[in-house]
Amino acid sequence: MTLQNWLNNGWLTEHRASSQEIATLFAVADRDLSDCRTSSLSSDWRLNIAYNAALQTATAALAAAGYRAVRGAHHYRVIHSLTHTIKADVGLVSLLDQFRKKRNISEYDHVGMISDQEAKEMVDLAIQLRKDVEKWIRENHPDLLADK
Amino acid sequence: MAPNMSAKNTNERLSATLFGKTRRSVLALFYSHVDESFYLRQIVRSAGVGMGAVQRELKRLSDAGIIIKTVHGQQVYYKANPECPIYDDLKSLVMKTVGIGEILKGALVPLADLIHVAFLFGSLVRGDENSLSDADVLVVGDVTFSEVVTALGQAQETIRREINPIVYPPKEFRSKLAADHHFLKTTLNSPKFFLIGDEHDLAKLVE
Repeated sequence: MTLQNWLNNGWLTEHRASSQEIATLFAVADRDLSDCRTSSLSSDWRLNIAYNAALQTATAALAAAGYRAVRGAHHYRVIHSLTHTIKADVGLVSLLDQFRKKRNISEYDHVGMISDQEAKEMVDLAIQLRKDVEKWIRENHPDLLADK
Repeated sequence: MAPNMSAKNTNERLSATLFGKTRRSVLALFYSHVDESFYLRQIVRSAGVGMGAVQRELKRLSDAGIIIKTVHGQQVYYKANPECPIYDDLKSLVMKTVGIGEILKGALVPLADLIHVAFLFGSLVRGDENSLSDADVLVVGDVTFSEVVTALGQAQETIRREINPIVYPPKEFRSKLAADHHFLKTTLNSPKFFLIGDEHDLAKLVE
């Protein structure tokens, strides 16, 4: 499967990204990466915020590649698109996807279940992903980075 | 399997009738990891029965050619014997009849030394599950969520259910319980099926 296949399946739409848009997505991710380290917040919230940072980051990579995910199964697609955009390894993608499920479950079925340990792992993953995606955009779509 | 665990109830009764407790647990371990070899202590831990019973079972199974025994240095290993004439049949029989609990136990074996207690809870244990219910697993140990997700990855496909692991380091587990953490308190008071350790280990952990 390639992103072109995904487009044909109707999972993505074509999209022309601007450097402004990438900068905005990164700014939101950076704000979340800072907020998720607020130690007074519950572990559920810290995981949620770090997850959002990762999602914005993955969205930036997908936009840079020329696509946007449609509404249905949006988070799932954006996460799995990392396999095709930055060539993320299977372990990272399945871990992030498992955090997606955990976040859903913690909101509806088992409120308060997330441990500090899990929140920390999500934060670490989001930080790493933010670095990886910026590096990938710099190498593959340098025109989309406004600065430097 | 715990009597109140209705998951695949009929199938489990089949395997409980065909195989005794020890044989069932031992076969479940070998056939859910056909490419791996295990040493005695790992098998004992996974089977949750006495050392003597496991040793006798391993002898019978290897004498019959169902499993192979190999020796590397000081350590003796056992694995499923793919040359056994009924290997495929046995594998399919075990997969179809041994419960989710046994499969999850087998999947956690590589991390067993780092885990104090792990148990299945939620609808699968209460018996009110549906086809979409997740397998909720609480793990208390010196392992990361990432390691547990990796260990359970294959089992997720085998049991054809999503597994929802929740991982607490022992220290955090204790301090949150001491602070009357709602989720943990509720979970500890709900029906459980132990994958690693037992009620006694759990009590010790909380002390």
